[in-house]
Amino acid sequence: MMDLNYITEDLIKSVGQFLPETALIITFLVAMMADILFKRSKHLTGYIAMAGLVIAGFLLYHQTGVNFKGFANMLVIDAFGQFMKYIVLLSSLIIIIFSFYSDELHAAHSRLGEYYTLIIGMTFGMMLLVGSSNLIMIYLAIETMSISSYILAGYTKEVKRASEASLKYVIFGAVSSGIMVYGISIMFGLTGSLNLFDINQYLASHQVDHLPLLISGLLIVAGFGYKISAVPFHFWTPDVYEGAPITITAYLSVASKAAGFAVMLRFFKTTFFGADQLLDGTWHLLGSINWHYVVAALAILTMTLGNLVALWQSNMKRMLAYSSIAHAGYLLMAVSVMNDGGVSAVLIYFFFYMLMNLGAFFVVQLVSNKLHTEDIEAYSGLGYRSPLIGVALTIFLISLTGLPPTAGFIGKLYVFTSVIDAGYYWLAVVGVLNSVVSLYYYVKVIRNMYLRDIESKEDKLVFSPSAIVIVFVLAVPTLIFGMYFTPIVEWANFSMNIFIGN
Amino acid sequence: MVTEFGIILLYFILGFLFVGIALVMAALIRPSHPNPIKNSTYECGEIPIGEPWIRFNVRFYVIALVFLLFDVEVVFLLPWAIVFKQLGWFAFIEMIIFVVILLVGLAYVWGKGDLDWEKPKPYIAKLEDLVLGKKKQ
Repeated sequence: MMDLNYITEDLIKSVGQFLPETALIITFLVAMMADILFKRSKHLTGYIAMAGLVIAGFLLYHQTGVNFKGFANMLVIDAFGQFMKYIVLLSSLIIIIFSFYSDELHAAHSRLGEYYTLIIGMTFGMMLLVGSSNLIMIYLAIETMSISSYILAGYTKEVKRASEASLKYVIFGAVSSGIMVYGISIMFGLTGSLNLFDINQYLASHQVDHLPLLISGLLIVAGFGYKISAVPFHFWTPDVYEGAPITITAYLSVASKAAGFAVMLRFFKTTFFGADQLLDGTWHLLGSINWHYVVAALAILTMTLGNLVALWQSNMKRMLAYSSIAHAGYLLMAVSVMNDGGVSAVLIYFFFYMLMNLGAFFVVQLVSNKLHTEDIEAYSGLGYRSPLIGVALTIFLISLTGLPPTAGFIGKLYVFTSVIDAGYYWLAVVGVLNSVVSLYYYVKVIRNMYLRDIESKEDKLVFSPSAIVIVFVLAVPTLIFGMYFTPIVEWANFSMNIFIGN
Repeated sequence: MVTEFGIILLYFILGFLFVGIALVMAALIRPSHPNPIKNSTYECGEIPIGEPWIRFNVRFYVIALVFLLFDVEVVFLLPWAIVFKQLGWFAFIEMIIFVVILLVGLAYVWGKGDLDWEKPKPYIAKLEDLVLGKKKQ
């Protein structure tokens, strides 16, 4: 029997480093109680959730510079996790603000309290996932976030396609987490441990059969690939993104992807690379399976399919769904490099991707509130009917394409630079070709907004001033970071160290 | 020599044989006089009504889920009670927090009205309705 006192001390020490997550749990409980006690107030739980997220952010700020393994090496706190947790918290906060403006959610406002509570639950799951360093913990965290997101995807259950989206999401999710657990069990059988650090030590000191290791690695990556909608596991994405409420679509496309990428990077780095990290930022592979090529193949498949299918979409939400698959492909490109440059490129890209993608989805939501459609045809003349919104959407779409002078360009620049630095020229060429393809479908929307003659041009669309302010709170940084991006790059470079223990 | 997994395989085989032989022997020895009443489904001595493939009320699942919540709680409480003396106040506070979180769940289910079991209201025809030929409501 292990020493009980030792375990207790480890627990007490870990709880002290678990404050942001604890804040979220308390917020979850308080919001739930408030939902029962104050049934009449519409937004109370929303405000509580916002307050909880801000508090969690402050507590997270106090963890700056901490490298810590806690809860019997289940969770890791490090700069890399902190960056990703900021992205998760920030996008949750933005999504809650978006939700205040959503007409489709307010049709069912008696259940709105549950909606905000579940968003907090999902945020909690993602925070755990970002810091997990044990395969069981990874699985549990993925389930925590998935179960909330299944319900959220079908939140407007009166709408048929939302229920359909939710059901599809559950079924795909169940299958992929089953596959992942299978991979985990093979990994456990091979190495005798679930802890990533122990697996790493075992791989470094023993000769392990290649085939089972490759298979178990692939099966585990399938679980992550489902979360980030990488290509062979992407089938749920278009239907779920189209059916779910727009706020949730935006949330899934940013926050849950961020958590998925974080855990994927941590898994690869902690498990398959030697712990002797050199100063030049190259990682040293353990064993002879070259994971670079596995991820690079995923990246090429993902972005090519995402971009080519996005070309044919006539529904804005569906188009953005495929575009988010393509963006996952660009990010996987940086993951496949697997050195410090690649990690910092992923971080930089994610920060900008959050701004532009959430912004684009918010505009789609505002337009669908007014016009009750998400057809790309309906955007004809939007540039004249509501000049401000038109300009903002143009900025977001140009940024998503990755053209200067927007933040998206800087993100892509760093991704391609990291790929070329690592010597994968062919991968960079495929990425650039894909960006060119993506130009077509993004600009198609801009053409619809400005260059089409329609009668309804004079029929102005009036949006509430506060909504327009929020759009520009996202659009202006997208422009500014395209020209002055040093702070984000420095922050990402500071955050790229994944703590691998000692 | 058999390996450890080999022993498990033997155990499986023995298990199948044991059940198989018992059933076959019983079938050989017992008398067989089937009649319709004997062949009907056994439902605690009642006469079976309808098909078994009916839709169950969804409330059963809700109650089952709530039950599960407290079942798991007990599973965690038992080992806690064993080491409680060694761990002292820390473990006590920890368990209080755990139970409170579960209680909030119960309060939520209660507040949302999922514990109310709404009985169906069957329509019972009154004598005058039948006599006067009134329509069912």
